[in-house]
Amino acid sequence: MSENAVIEIRNLTKIYRDFWGRPKVRAVNSLSLDVKPGEVFGLLGPNGSGKTTTIKMLLGLLFPSEGEIRILGKPATDVSKNEYIGYLPEESYLYRFLNAEETLDFYGRLFDMTTAERKQRTDELIKMVGLDKARRRQLKEYSKGMTRRIGLAQALINNPKLVLLDEPTSGLDPIGTREMKDLIIKLKEEGKTVVMCSHLLADVQDVCDRIAILYNGELKQLGKVDELLASQDKTQIVSSLLSDEAVNEIKAVITKHNGTVEEVTNPTTSLEELFLQTVAESQARPGQRFVAESEKAANTTTVD
Amino acid sequence: MNLNFDKQPIDILQALANWGLIFGALLCIGLVIALILSVAINPKKGVSRFFENLGEGLRDLFGMSLKRLGAITNLTIKEAVRRKALLVFVVFAVLFMFGGWFLSNTNNRAELQLSVYVSFVLTAIGWLIFPVALILACWGIPEDIRLRSLHTVVTKPVKRSEIVLGRILGFIGVGTIVVGIMSVLGYVWILRQVPEKVQSRLVARVPVYGSLNFRDREGQDSEAGVNTGDINPYRSYIEGASKARAKWSFEGLSPSVLQTDPDSGEAALLVENSFQAFRTHKGVIDEVLHGQYTLINPETNLRVQLPQFPIYEFRQNLTWIPQKLAYYNEDTKKTETKDLFDDLVSDGKLMVEARCVDVGQFLGMARPDLFLRLPDRPFASSFFKSVFGIWLMMVLIVVLGVTASTFVKGPVATILLFTLILVGTGFNQFMDDVLSGEVRGAGLVESGIRILNHGNPIVEKPESLEESMAVQNVDQVFTGMLWGVSHIIPNFNMFSFKAYTASGFDVPMKVAVLPALLMVIGFFIPCLMLGYFSLKLRELEAK
Repeated sequence: MSENAVIEIRNLTKIYRDFWGRPKVRAVNSLSLDVKPGEVFGLLGPNGSGKTTTIKMLLGLLFPSEGEIRILGKPATDVSKNEYIGYLPEESYLYRFLNAEETLDFYGRLFDMTTAERKQRTDELIKMVGLDKARRRQLKEYSKGMTRRIGLAQALINNPKLVLLDEPTSGLDPIGTREMKDLIIKLKEEGKTVVMCSHLLADVQDVCDRIAILYNGELKQLGKVDELLASQDKTQIVSSLLSDEAVNEIKAVITKHNGTVEEVTNPTTSLEELFLQTVAESQARPGQRFVAESEKAANTTTVD
Repeated sequence: MNLNFDKQPIDILQALANWGLIFGALLCIGLVIALILSVAINPKKGVSRFFENLGEGLRDLFGMSLKRLGAITNLTIKEAVRRKALLVFVVFAVLFMFGGWFLSNTNNRAELQLSVYVSFVLTAIGWLIFPVALILACWGIPEDIRLRSLHTVVTKPVKRSEIVLGRILGFIGVGTIVVGIMSVLGYVWILRQVPEKVQSRLVARVPVYGSLNFRDREGQDSEAGVNTGDINPYRSYIEGASKARAKWSFEGLSPSVLQTDPDSGEAALLVENSFQAFRTHKGVIDEVLHGQYTLINPETNLRVQLPQFPIYEFRQNLTWIPQKLAYYNEDTKKTETKDLFDDLVSDGKLMVEARCVDVGQFLGMARPDLFLRLPDRPFASSFFKSVFGIWLMMVLIVVLGVTASTFVKGPVATILLFTLILVGTGFNQFMDDVLSGEVRGAGLVESGIRILNHGNPIVEKPESLEESMAVQNVDQVFTGMLWGVSHIIPNFNMFSFKAYTASGFDVPMKVAVLPALLMVIGFFIPCLMLGYFSLKLRELEAK
């Protein structure tokens, strides 16, 4: 096995069996991959492809039928590895009768942290995930987005080396999604290794260094995102303030060099970018609202 | 009033040996099954994985973190409190607000009423804590698994042993709060409800029991006295004005058993009896029967006959025996003085012989019917020991419930534990009686053959059965299994000390408290191991 990999998976297979031990579903089939230190690794795949099963085997919640897993050099069933792991489950399965402070304090105690450490870390994390005003409210009163945030905070309570995120952006609004993605990048900058599984491809594309695509429990693609997405036979030039004449000259140059101009358009921004920009402008200029063209025309007529 | 049962002090070594035998046998069986399963699942690495898990298990069981245990315990208590488990106090309050209406004037005899109040309080506490402990313990971990909140715990560096023990301690904590508050309220309630004239009876008598032997009407030693036709052979009877005697042998006596006689102000030994009379003729109307004690030094055989005394049935008959005894010596025809401890007690041993004085009448007695009384202890001593018994029962229910909940879901664990309690309360004695031979009958296979042949236990065995060693041997195996089962199913009756408290006795440590405590410890250790391995070897995510 690789010396410096954070996660090493070899020939991992998971077969769900019925009561009589007969094979029911082969959820993961001969999966082998490594996750390197400091990278953001994405597990992609449609529903039922084996992403969550793989994560749960990594955590020791499920036992492999065959194959071997080593995390930080230890077997998946060794609880001492959890000292360095943070886990955000798909749903935030937290104790709903606790409030945010009590939740983080409880998980901090599970790491044998001192009272002072727990208090400091709880304050930091609650501020980081933006729950300062709701820190004394029981989790049963939280919205889904708030629950994800406190879930993330508990995953980071021990300042982990490896963070496992199961559908980290599910249930979050676009601002929350962006914050989550920013946080993942920040974790990477801090030198942590992040493994996330998601079927929101845009989110994965934004933050992951490498991805693995699973289908029916089998590994179909594995590699760097840029390399997997790059089209080697095409070239894209993005420029600003070009006149029509200049565009025509460029087209002529391309044709002269036996190239084909497939499309000349003005690029559009992503919906996420538009949403975030709108929210930012609304916060900067409160009271301004969108006025439809028909409404504008009607107003002009009235003034006249 | 007296106890209508006769319990013997626990033999700790014997109990430990029994426990070791059962625990060792079950452990061996469990390990062999685990090894076989491990090899069957993974023929290549089965053996090494088995030993890896075993080693890891031992490390996890002995290397628990107090902080993590405290965290899970604290979480469990918070969970129970916030999920309204303490609503049980509402039921308790209602019972006590209105219970007095139905309990007062239940009997004209004030001392009996005292017993009713004490029994009511202790029964109410026991019955209220029972469902709380049962439901909390059986549903805690399964709900945690169902809601997957356990996922966020097991993905931290938490050992499964810490989860099991933390849950157990948490539920015990909740139970302790409930039992503690209810017992203090109940105690205050008793003090306020008991009529003033019997307030002085609110004490905990401390008896010193001896062993009992009989002599028949001819003066010969015998195991028991006369059976007067009572279907319950608990008491044996001695005939009046005959050579029949009942002899109690006491051991380990020291001058500390002496008290101050309130009438004479001198040091004296207090003897209490609760003999029962059986009359063959009506005798003198309004006259009670009379008895007489003789103190005997078992070494020197010095006999000191004491004055006759009246026997009031269903009352405490007290006799103060002064340390300096003046008595009439039949041999020397002189009145002599003897010192109780210098002349009659040898190596802490003393014999007390009782006889019935009245011709044609009988006195019935069992071992606990005569005892020496040490200075009384406060009523609170007995009451809170009884509460401790209820607490121990709650602890055992929690331990068993949490263990069951590690391998089955909440409803199944509840039914399983409820069945165990039912059998442990109602059938444990029966199993003991079958094993000791007190209940007559044949073994399982032989009984089956007799039923098919329309036989019954009185009918002689058919010749084919006599000759069939196989049947006998198979029945031996079943008897052995029954012995095992009778030791695996806890006897929940052991935790009920209320008969002592309601009868005005202190709860004896060696006879009642210690066996109950040891039983809880005896179940706690294997249950913790079973719960740990069950939680460790199961896939928490599996449906």
